Amino acid sequence: MLSGLVVGLIFGFVLQRGRFCMNSAFRDILVMKEYTLLKAVALAIAVQMIGFHLMATMGWIQLNPKTLYWGAMIVGGFIFGVGMVLAAGCASGTTYRVGEGMVGSFVALLGLMIGAVVTNAGALAGLNSNLKSGTFKAITTADLGVDSGPLLKEGSTSLTLANIFGLDPWILVAIITVVALAVLIWKRGGEGAKAEGTLYEKIFKRGWNWWITGVAVGIVGIIAFPTFKEYALGISGGWLAFLNTLISGDPENLNWFTFLVIGIIVGAAIAAVIAGEFKLRAPDAKRLLQQFIGGLLMGVGAVIGTACNIGHILSGIPQLALGSILGGAFIILGCWVTAYIMFMRG
Amino acid sequence: MHTCNKLSSKEKGKIEMTSKEKPTEVLNVKGEVCPYPDVKTQRKLKSMKSGEILEVLIDYPLSAERIPRSMEKQGHEVLKVEKKGTSEWSILIKVK
Repeated sequence: MLSGLVVGLIFGFVLQRGRFCMNSAFRDILVMKEYTLLKAVALAIAVQMIGFHLMATMGWIQLNPKTLYWGAMIVGGFIFGVGMVLAAGCASGTTYRVGEGMVGSFVALLGLMIGAVVTNAGALAGLNSNLKSGTFKAITTADLGVDSGPLLKEGSTSLTLANIFGLDPWILVAIITVVALAVLIWKRGGEGAKAEGTLYEKIFKRGWNWWITGVAVGIVGIIAFPTFKEYALGISGGWLAFLNTLISGDPENLNWFTFLVIGIIVGAAIAAVIAGEFKLRAPDAKRLLQQFIGGLLMGVGAVIGTACNIGHILSGIPQLALGSILGGAFIILGCWVTAYIMFMRG
Repeated sequence: MHTCNKLSSKEKGKIEMTSKEKPTEVLNVKGEVCPYPDVKTQRKLKSMKSGEILEVLIDYPLSAERIPRSMEKQGHEVLKVEKKGTSEWSILIKVK
């Protein structure tokens, strides 16, 4: 459990320095024609894809791709994507900005926790289970009559991009990372003025270049997986467990992710204080309400879709999980539709 | 404080002069959340005339780094980015 706190501290520091927020990353392609953060996200995924498969091949971890609850992942992913634009930050962006003293992100986080608890075991629990059963039943390797393939956790029936085609995962890892790195190297430039100053200033005082951020986030994920063993990074599950513990009074509800997310806030706060970027600040009432509703939707979407942007896009896609690719795609779609309506008309 | 170092020394000299001029308009986006500082800056610049100077007052780190980058990409001239205090910046942009 304490290892979660330590990984969280590092993750929070990296998130704050790298301004790593997937809401910004995906939304800015559309709204600002800005690709900087997207490149950091892509690099982090590529670094982890190699790292996870290497560690699984060495026998240090077993990959644990999420079960393909296709209906829930489409619906939950889309709701989450809408929510993160309203909340002005994804699960990771919202969490690290609480550590910068942004009261709006704190309000969004409260919404996320409430939305998650309500969907997990409250008024929306019925909807949640309906979206995972009957017509929307999960599709597994057994349903398609394919073998789970190597490197996966024992007994896993989750579909991946590798086992659905009966391919060696390394073939896909090699192709995807080579293509991704080629595109990233080709498109690396054009980021404006280079930061001057000493090494200390570059690390602690200024925002990081996208590629340093991408590699650093990737390394945090590679540290997280063998530390926690079950999975790599995740955020929404940590906050769900946090509020569940407060409600039930039972510390058994706490999990590794809870310590991770608390660590993120502290790590981000340390980074922000050193950089002179910590300040308590809040937007107006209308915006706070918007962020709260966004947080609620993120909580609902994350529980229905079985993960937030971190669990799916950052940790799931590197494991080639089909469910995370689907969930991630609908998070991005929800983000784009909402961003278009909110920022691009008029 | 760091001025944009993409510019030649000759251009920098010119900017020293222009940045002493008062901004035509000031846009205060302190307290605003992602991406309103960027969107409001973009909309404000659209409403201004070529050669006019906009000062953006901002306290959100991500946008404080992103606005100069994206406004330059859109062809505007970023005259100065100055850190004014704890998580507070002033950005001077000359409309293209």
